[in-house]
Amino acid sequence: MTSTASPQPPVTTSSRAQDIGGALLRVGGVFITIAIVIAVFAILSGGKFLIPANLLGLLRYASTVAILGMGLLVVIVVGEIDLSFGALYGLCASTMAVSWIMWDWPVWLALILTFAVAIFWGLFNAFFTTVVKIPSFIATLGSGTLIFGFTLLVTNTKTFNYLYPEPGITLEPSEVDFFRGIANQALPERFPMQAVWMIGIALVFWLLLSRSLFGFRIKAIGGNPEAARLARLPVRKYKVAAFVICAMMACLAAMLDFSFIGSTQPSGGQSLLFPTFAAVIIGGASLSGGRGSVAGTLAGALLLAVLANGLALLSAGPFAQQVLLGTVTIGAVVLDQYTNRRRKAA
Amino acid sequence: MIRPRPEATATGGVRIRGLRKRYGDTIALDGLDLDAYPGQILGVAGPNGAGKSTMVKILAAETVVDDGEILVDDAPWSVDIGAHRVAVVHQEPQLFPNLTVGENVMVGREGTRWLRRDLRTQELIVMRDLGIDDVRDRLLEDVPLAVQQRTEIARALVQDARVFLFDEPNSALTEEESNDLFRRMHSLADAGRVVILVSHRLAELVRHCDRVVVVLDGRTALTLEGEALTQEAIARELVVVTATGDDRVRTAHSAGATETPVVELHGWSHRGGEFADVELTVPAGRIVAFVGVEGSGARELVRSIAGFEPGTGTLLVKGVSTPGGVAAASGFVSADRGASLFGNMSVGDNVVSRLDTEITGALSSLRRGRMRSIASDIRATFRVKSPSLGTPIRSLSGGNQQKVAIAAAVVKRPAALVLEEPTRGVDIGSKDEIYHLLRDYAAEGHAVILYCTEVPEVFDVADRVYVVSDGRVSEPLDVAVHEDVKALAAAITRRERHQVPQTVA
Repeated sequence: MTSTASPQPPVTTSSRAQDIGGALLRVGGVFITIAIVIAVFAILSGGKFLIPANLLGLLRYASTVAILGMGLLVVIVVGEIDLSFGALYGLCASTMAVSWIMWDWPVWLALILTFAVAIFWGLFNAFFTTVVKIPSFIATLGSGTLIFGFTLLVTNTKTFNYLYPEPGITLEPSEVDFFRGIANQALPERFPMQAVWMIGIALVFWLLLSRSLFGFRIKAIGGNPEAARLARLPVRKYKVAAFVICAMMACLAAMLDFSFIGSTQPSGGQSLLFPTFAAVIIGGASLSGGRGSVAGTLAGALLLAVLANGLALLSAGPFAQQVLLGTVTIGAVVLDQYTNRRRKAA
Repeated sequence: MIRPRPEATATGGVRIRGLRKRYGDTIALDGLDLDAYPGQILGVAGPNGAGKSTMVKILAAETVVDDGEILVDDAPWSVDIGAHRVAVVHQEPQLFPNLTVGENVMVGREGTRWLRRDLRTQELIVMRDLGIDDVRDRLLEDVPLAVQQRTEIARALVQDARVFLFDEPNSALTEEESNDLFRRMHSLADAGRVVILVSHRLAELVRHCDRVVVVLDGRTALTLEGEALTQEAIARELVVVTATGDDRVRTAHSAGATETPVVELHGWSHRGGEFADVELTVPAGRIVAFVGVEGSGARELVRSIAGFEPGTGTLLVKGVSTPGGVAAASGFVSADRGASLFGNMSVGDNVVSRLDTEITGALSSLRRGRMRSIASDIRATFRVKSPSLGTPIRSLSGGNQQKVAIAAAVVKRPAALVLEEPTRGVDIGSKDEIYHLLRDYAAEGHAVILYCTEVPEVFDVADRVYVVSDGRVSEPLDVAVHEDVKALAAAITRRERHQVPQTVA
């Protein structure tokens, strides 16, 4: 007991090194898996998988999943869940399309409206979760369906394309160039602009989660909400922030894809719900809250993108894709629990 | 009470040799040896982190042992024996809060019939003996902690196990309730079962046990029985590692006390009716304790001072009555460690978990260096026994976890520090350390408010004691007249139990 009476900076440094080592090991596991999966696809596809155009397309898809995943990560770390961001992705793309193309709003105003819509639904989720105190699983399952309903209403179930608008509608060329430029820039080696966005956002989220009071506190709140309440941490404020951040990331991902692809459809984003969840969970986030990392989420998104792309390339068909997606997700969580138990027992 | 001590039966019982267990860098058990005979009560004493709870967990198959030999009734220990023949009564009940008291007693023993069965007569008898049959249809989470613990005892009793482990079972019970529990332990032992009592209370160990094993640093340091079994003998062994400074206790008492009120209550009543018309002030530099059994209103009163129970009337903390002002000027530590610590974080992060501007720089970025220096200072003053600041909080022993929980509140430096049973399930050494820290904190001009169920202990730490019974607060008792007050308060607590049994149940 006397030996603990003096501060021990060397010990704390080594424990910090251990923490970093542990995190690397976890993320490293996913990266090793990615490398193996890439090697398998490269061989099976006879090298087609490794063609730069294919890899860059893969990276673009991974970016969308990663951006959505980082938003979801914040909600999961704070101990809640969001099932509505897929539907919100669709509503945001449609809101942008309708207000800009159909209502002839200036592009900047349409963008502001779109993000305002996203923030509104983030606050909507937060209100029902933290004030009415409905479990977020139910609240966001409901709001996701509501949002999809609104999407069908505002779009009248139509699809939109800003490069080829409906006859009789002309968009300002400068505005088209501006919006197109969000996700299309002539970068060296045809590097996708969406990946640049993703890297920038990842940097911000890494700072937010690992280097800011926000990240420290949401881990505490997610880890033990009751202790957080008794310690007077502003639990509600952080949960509201988490839902709004998640909604804004869904909106941003929708804008980037709309800008890149050129078209929207009301159901866009629904199919991203499961891959995004899988990416975050594979990346080591705990669904019971309090644990998760940006690096893990990025690795998870990359693994899912590699799998989706590789299977499509081998013409494996949707059946194989779905089966593999489910298997990988469950397998990753099993592996995570196993390594956790090992680490605790060590 | 001295009961006749039966001769130890030569065979049977629990025999432990060379038990070893590590949690990460922490060695919990380092070759523990122990013999418990049928028909006897074996006491296990030792400071926090000595490995007592780990031994209990291993015997009950709640954790895996690294090395060592265990025999139960001459048969090698197995997970099956641990789960079915060993029953544990925990210091914090491990039950199902969403089931009723009755369902908790029978859960796992429902049988295989398609229809769920009712309580059996034998289960009802056990529950009636424990005085919990009246509340059998209430949800466990709705009954007081004392009843929850008795439910766990009932569960252990109906299992008809061979080995009964009591891990600080009475730390939250009143004297009356404890005595009842000890009578039950004796009858279990008399029926030829093995009873092991893990406790920090030396008087109880000496009074009720046939033999006492003192565990230090995961090893058996000493076994005492017969004439050699005295409080002094156990204490002497424990003092080897715990510096008890009784002189300092007395001199530090009420040092730095002023009459500047930190907390003022005028006509303060609970919205749920748990207490009414409380009039009192808590001055700076004082430690004030509220004593009362479960249901007396003492717990709710103390929680209301920290703003965690709704009240009407006037509550002023540092002269402010707004909820925000009360929140800013007070800090609260729950009796339940599960509600005061963040299990997913390290020791160091738990210590600084309540801070904000103290640990942030520009754009609310974390200043890691500052977090570390604050945490390591606190770890030194609180003598937290952990390998490093980065150690997961869960791997610490109960007493050390409690020190971290209190440290996290103290480091925020609230004008009024409010604690519920701050030394529940904590060994003597840590208890004294916690008392010293509370006294030092009060001496710096803060008010410290405690809720206690253990009457004698209140006098080791508090300057002023209020006894709460049936929602009414007594006149303040000054600890200057130490012995008189002790007797008085004990009498009040007992009387209250006889007068209002329904609130206790």
